[in-house]
Amino acid sequence: MKKILAFVGTNADFSYNRLLLRFMKKHFKQMAEIEIYEVRKLPPFSVDTPLSEQTEVWKLKQKVKQADGLVFSTPEYDHGIPAVLKSAIEWLSYHTTVLKKKPTMVVGVAYGRQASARSQVQMRQILISPDCDTNLLPGNEVLIGNVKQTFAKDGRIVDQEIVDNLEQCFTHFIEYIQIFENVRRTDLQMSVKQPTISDAYVQFPTGRLTLKQVQQIFSTIPFEVDLIDADDRFAWYSDKPNREHVRNVASLNETVQECHPPMAVPAVMSIINSFREGKRDVVTRPLWMKGHRSLIQYYALRDVDGHYLGTIEFTGSVEYILQLFENGAWDQDATTGASQSGADASTGASQNDDEESSEPDASTGASENDSNGNKQADASTGASETGSVDAEDDDADASTGASQHDDK
Amino acid sequence: MKIAAIAGSNANHSYNRMLLEYMANRYKDQDQFDVIDIRPVPMFNESFRGDLPQSVKDIDQRIQAADAVIIASPEYNHSITSALKSTIEWLSYQVHPLDHKPVWTTGASTLAQGTSRSQVQLRDILISPGLNASLCQMSEFFLSDVRNEMDEDGNLTNPVTIKVLDKCMAEFRPFARAINRLTEEMKQQ
Repeated sequence: MKKILAFVGTNADFSYNRLLLRFMKKHFKQMAEIEIYEVRKLPPFSVDTPLSEQTEVWKLKQKVKQADGLVFSTPEYDHGIPAVLKSAIEWLSYHTTVLKKKPTMVVGVAYGRQASARSQVQMRQILISPDCDTNLLPGNEVLIGNVKQTFAKDGRIVDQEIVDNLEQCFTHFIEYIQIFENVRRTDLQMSVKQPTISDAYVQFPTGRLTLKQVQQIFSTIPFEVDLIDADDRFAWYSDKPNREHVRNVASLNETVQECHPPMAVPAVMSIINSFREGKRDVVTRPLWMKGHRSLIQYYALRDVDGHYLGTIEFTGSVEYILQLFENGAWDQDATTGASQSGADASTGASQNDDEESSEPDASTGASENDSNGNKQADASTGASETGSVDAEDDDADASTGASQHDDK
Repeated sequence: MKIAAIAGSNANHSYNRMLLEYMANRYKDQDQFDVIDIRPVPMFNESFRGDLPQSVKDIDQRIQAADAVIIASPEYNHSITSALKSTIEWLSYQVHPLDHKPVWTTGASTLAQGTSRSQVQLRDILISPGLNASLCQMSEFFLSDVRNEMDEDGNLTNPVTIKVLDKCMAEFRPFARAINRLTEEMKQQ
């Protein structure tokens, strides 16, 4: 079912435009999942608004990204759309492209007979301006005037002609969304279940993996992996079920600033910059997520000459490992049992890792394994071997809070 | 002539505010400019009850005290800024200082269109019943490519551009006086 984000174009306590969207949400519940958004939650747009006050803006951008289409319901103030609605559009078109090619539809209610006709024309003009560049549904005008005769006290629309028109227009909108979906499917950067060329393979210095194996390795290992590339863009994430950080393909290729909550940006940038400048190679953050103990580790990804390729973020629950530890898996008495299961898990290939770990192919990450067993907890990544496990400094606090936002 | 000049941006660095300040200085022998900063104005809300915000009262009084109004507006998404629209909404709600007030619009932009589209919109807004401004639709002044037209101190550098601005002002002053005479006459009837 299509996900529609529907904007109430006013901050007034009572609004017929809000009633219209509530009616649509109910009336079209078989056709679409409509979420109503209140623009009054946003701060007034200003280019000088500090990042720390933009959390709500960031949340809205995430909602927009995840929606299949947007509906704007606007009243008319002085021949135009309300300032508060314009402000929302300014947020969604400033240093971001979330509106680009997004299917949009304009509806509106006003007290008088003119029925917000002029503000709707203005709204349409704004939605096709270059910084918005939405796929605006043409025609299909929903102009509702004379509200007193149109709406019953309980918010139902009692004028059948208006309901018929609304049904027709909204059906067209859903069809319109589907047209663009078929176009877009071909250029999605990463299909969720399969890599693009299924029988291709990569020859690593230590063996050969098909793309399907690569894909499935990332889906299987108990850590999820995210990559910010050398241009500070979100380039890739592993397709692991039940991720701690829920990611969306719509966020791919976004800058660090765009894909993180504003409050988290300074901490993240400080980690990335320190990696880029070669000041450190790993940052470790233990924290509670969704009621269990988790570990996040950031690693600088470098080529064999040490040039910065990006930052990878490993996140995973460590509850199982900690339970093993607490149950004495590494105690001397228990050694036999534990090391057996350890051997099973880490495969024969890794046995001689002790010698190989200084070799440069460590940075490929995917094929690595550890058997050096001792204090290094960050087993599943080759790249980590250059870094020390430093339970981190001041950054850790800042980013802990931030990543909790991530979960939502 | 006393001119209330509204800068239609809430950005700390605004070419439109700089343009109005340049005009205030250039025409100081003929006009007394009062450049109005809309940064303190809160977001308009029609559910608002009670005493108007101080920033709105202040702007209302300064417009009332002026013989004419100039609005310089940037362009965001082919339209005026939400900050300016919010100010205008306040001025069409409990107080209506622009009613019959001679108003001329202009705008500065870093791009080639020089706010032409948002000015069309702004004019349409100004003649709506809640505002009812006496719009001056004589010569137009759209300052495009402002980064090359203005020096660091906010002075216009191109003599041709300055000439157009002078011409606009020379038309606006008699227009404003005529409108004010007319309004006075209507009041007396």
